[in-house]
Amino acid sequence: MRRVPLVLSAGACLLFAGVLASQTVPAANVQEVLVGELLPLTGNFASLGQQYLWAGQTVEDIVNNDYPDLTVPLGPGKGFPGLGGAALKLVVRDDQSRGDLARTLAEQLITVNKIHWLNGEGTSGNTSIIQPVVESFGIPMSCHPCASPTLTEKGLQWFWRTGPNDKTMVASVFTFLREWREQGGPTDLKTIALFTCDNLFCQDNRKIAAELAPKAGFQVVLDLTTKTGATTLASEVQRLQAANPDVLFLVQYPPETSIFQGDAKRAGWTPKIIATSNGAYSDQTWLEAQKKTNGGAGWLGRDPTAIDLVQDRPSWRKVNEIYKKYSRGQNMGELAMREITGMLWMADTINRAKSVEPAALAKAASETNMGPEQLIIDYKGVRFDKTHQNELATGVVTQVGWDGEKHTIWPWDLAKRANFKVLYPSPGWQERDTKPKPAN
Amino acid sequence: MTLLLQAVVNGLEMGFLYALVAVGLTIIWGLMEMINFAHGEFLMLGMFGAWWLSVTFGLDPLVAIVPVGLAMYALGVLIYRQLMRRVQQGDPFTQIFATIGLLFLLQNSAVAVFTSDYRYLSNTVLTRLSGANLHVLGVSVGVPILIGALLALVLFLALYLLIDRTEFGLALQATAEDREAAMLVGIRPQKMFAVAWGLGAALVAVAGAILANFFAVFPQVGFPFTVLAYAIVALGGFGSILGTLLAALLVGVVQSVTSVYLEPAFKDAFVFASYILIGLCRPQGLFGRF
Repeated sequence: MRRVPLVLSAGACLLFAGVLASQTVPAANVQEVLVGELLPLTGNFASLGQQYLWAGQTVEDIVNNDYPDLTVPLGPGKGFPGLGGAALKLVVRDDQSRGDLARTLAEQLITVNKIHWLNGEGTSGNTSIIQPVVESFGIPMSCHPCASPTLTEKGLQWFWRTGPNDKTMVASVFTFLREWREQGGPTDLKTIALFTCDNLFCQDNRKIAAELAPKAGFQVVLDLTTKTGATTLASEVQRLQAANPDVLFLVQYPPETSIFQGDAKRAGWTPKIIATSNGAYSDQTWLEAQKKTNGGAGWLGRDPTAIDLVQDRPSWRKVNEIYKKYSRGQNMGELAMREITGMLWMADTINRAKSVEPAALAKAASETNMGPEQLIIDYKGVRFDKTHQNELATGVVTQVGWDGEKHTIWPWDLAKRANFKVLYPSPGWQERDTKPKPAN
Repeated sequence: MTLLLQAVVNGLEMGFLYALVAVGLTIIWGLMEMINFAHGEFLMLGMFGAWWLSVTFGLDPLVAIVPVGLAMYALGVLIYRQLMRRVQQGDPFTQIFATIGLLFLLQNSAVAVFTSDYRYLSNTVLTRLSGANLHVLGVSVGVPILIGALLALVLFLALYLLIDRTEFGLALQATAEDREAAMLVGIRPQKMFAVAWGLGAALVAVAGAILANFFAVFPQVGFPFTVLAYAIVALGGFGSILGTLLAALLVGVVQSVTSVYLEPAFKDAFVFASYILIGLCRPQGLFGRF
């Protein structure tokens, strides 16, 4: 009878060893590295999701094919050399822009599809919903274009972000406005109105702007939050017009931004400065549409990279050519650039880990020290702080010129290189109508 | 005072545009009592139709309303014959789920064909007039929206005459009221329902073609309008065309005035609060009958 506990203990040990063995995936056995791409491909945020999908397909292409002249991680050579040439395979799921569905799909990707890394969801709100799921399963996760500071401030063990957060980027706008006075800019800009939508992304921006505005010498004369999916903003424009701020800080999605433009034009109102942060300003289709109307001329906003200067980089041009294969000919917008930069870092991390074991991936991610020469955009590099936020991600300020393109106006050294004269004050509607349109 | 007056005028202008959107739903849901959750997707197709005809053939949306309306009439009839006629025989829940399925089918088809990019119309008659205003008593009235409002009025008048003053309209009402009795006097209910679906789809698509001048065009554009359209039809009273028009104006004004004095993020909440308030006194809606 004494043998029974002995046999049971031995069996338990074997079982435990088997479980351990199954969790450690040696490099030689990895044929494909599975990356879950959980994206809003339909629903309210579909226009973002499709850009992230194209970005993901671009990175999959770069990793799996040989681009000898491409100076980005895993550009030359096929597959992951650190994993014996294993290929990158994206497992794409559409959460219809719904947080509840994103949560379910994240679980499915981890438990059914056995992904090694989860990239997504592309919007800060839905990413915050799936973070606890991924954290509980203990696999690496990233969302590079998500800008809400809270995503990393939670101090999660398994979440990384290479892109700058809203604090960095909104701070760029206010630093520009403050320093501009000393650099020969207008000295009579005293008041500001905040005009934001009501979701996590917009509200994070609003809170940061409300905190930074007084420090930059502005009095907040109006703070308006609108509904996402608004069908009219005429009353809001009335209130803005009545408050008459020198600077309008606007964070709205493209449909609401175009409604605002229509209502502001109808009211004949333009503040001296329209400053914005992400939303429509990051949307390539909105920017292209402005070229037909001059509607965006004079708008300034934060960007993660000096978009006019980065195009001179050969690696940027090459990556853009690959991106266009998937985007039906569209150029990379700044969101796509952020996503591609982040996913190439992820590929580099997997390659350095030489394993798809979560602990090895986490170690490699935390040990990242990537130089700017490996990036397609203007970050100073990739290196994470203790919250897994890239501390070398930077923000710049750009302004849309009469040519419909963005030009860098801050920081001053980059602005000097861009050699663009800031449009001030923001052109009135009549001037926009009468000037030649770049797209025509 | 001018602020309030301007808000009321802004609200009335938007109300006319909402009325345009709700008019198709008045027939399908209000009159024929069939649920259609894909109403906003008909609007979206109308907007895409106008955008496509504009960028491909240079057709102004004000002209494009004719081909868009005809095409959507055909689609509405087709959807009734192939889907809703069968579904109609089942439980009302079947209608709900069938039209929700239709919503996803149409929306995702638009994503597949057009992608989720935002598209904008420029250089159309109404966009060129976008800065033009009429000034009355210190209040400005936007000319393009005024034209949209006039078109909405014309459509409402035509629909009112069609439903209330023609033999066809009376046959439509008779079918909605009692299908068996209508059959006894020689009316073919299936034909009436098919025409109602065709008309409903065509009208909302025409609304979409006009709205494409003022809003970004993208596959998900229909949803916020659909939510308001349902509230408008219920508020106006099921089957009442005049009620729908007045309810749409009321919704526009409530949205506009509350946004001037209260938190704009809750503008739709105030609309639905008004609906609940009116519903407590008149559950049948403003002009509805039990």
